[in-house]
Amino acid sequence: MRTNDVMLQTATKVVTFIILLFAVHIFFAGHYTPGGGFVGGLLTTSAIVLLMLAFDMNTVRKILPINYVVMTAVGLLLAVGTAAASIVFDVPFFTHAYDYFDLPLLGETSLHSAMLFDAGVYLVVVGVTMTIIQTIGEDE
Amino acid sequence: MALQILLNFFLALVWMFMTVSFTPTGFIVGYLVGLGIIVLMRRFFSYRLYTSRAWAVISLILLFLKELFLSSIQVLQIVVRPNMNIKPAIFELETELQHDWEVTLLSALITLTPGTLVVGISDDQKRLYIHALDFEDIEDAVSSIKNTFERAILEVSRP
Repeated sequence: MRTNDVMLQTATKVVTFIILLFAVHIFFAGHYTPGGGFVGGLLTTSAIVLLMLAFDMNTVRKILPINYVVMTAVGLLLAVGTAAASIVFDVPFFTHAYDYFDLPLLGETSLHSAMLFDAGVYLVVVGVTMTIIQTIGEDE
Repeated sequence: MALQILLNFFLALVWMFMTVSFTPTGFIVGYLVGLGIIVLMRRFFSYRLYTSRAWAVISLILLFLKELFLSSIQVLQIVVRPNMNIKPAIFELETELQHDWEVTLLSALITLTPGTLVVGISDDQKRLYIHALDFEDIEDAVSSIKNTFERAILEVSRP
């Protein structure tokens, strides 16, 4: 018997956005406070999994038409690219650089190239976990 | 549409509480981050994104400014011409707009561009009677209004 999960779906519609917002916050907080690409990626995945629980996989695929395998590859390329960029500046592999910039809205902000590496980690984590969950979920 | 804007404000507030930055800057950053998430999840909504409607309003304003500029030049040319060989006419425009505000907006835009003037609207709001300063061809006049203003207004009111 299929029960009417209107409550789950309605709550999901609001909660998903808050989880995604929290994921973004955790991702950017990673440098000075607990958080980072890995936790942010897992939180994003949990938001998508919540969508899959409340709706079904085809609906979620319509909402987010993302090829997660490609996403993983892009994340790996970004991580390797950030690490390899240090070669161009004649410093050892994986050397990061940072500086302070005066951004509009945000004020004086420290921009670190480790953030790009973290973005790669984020994409890989989301891509891999979503691939695992989707592959298992589709198996009849 | 209003629900999306409300959700965006709500996300901005949540962001402010999450980052403990109760400043206008924190609100704007939260609003932008929330907007990014809403754009990412845009297929989740049964109607289109509110930013596309906002863009339709902006492009309608730009279209009006452009038409205002071009038709002002045309009227200026008629005014400075030594001989007054113009052909004024009143023609009928069938509109597919339905809401009161759409018909009002279309009439206002037609009236505000020099050279054309709405002199009356039929009782069932399906036909506008337009006076043209220099009239050449009804097909041209009707299709130019239909292709510019009416289409832009439809773009704004599309759900």
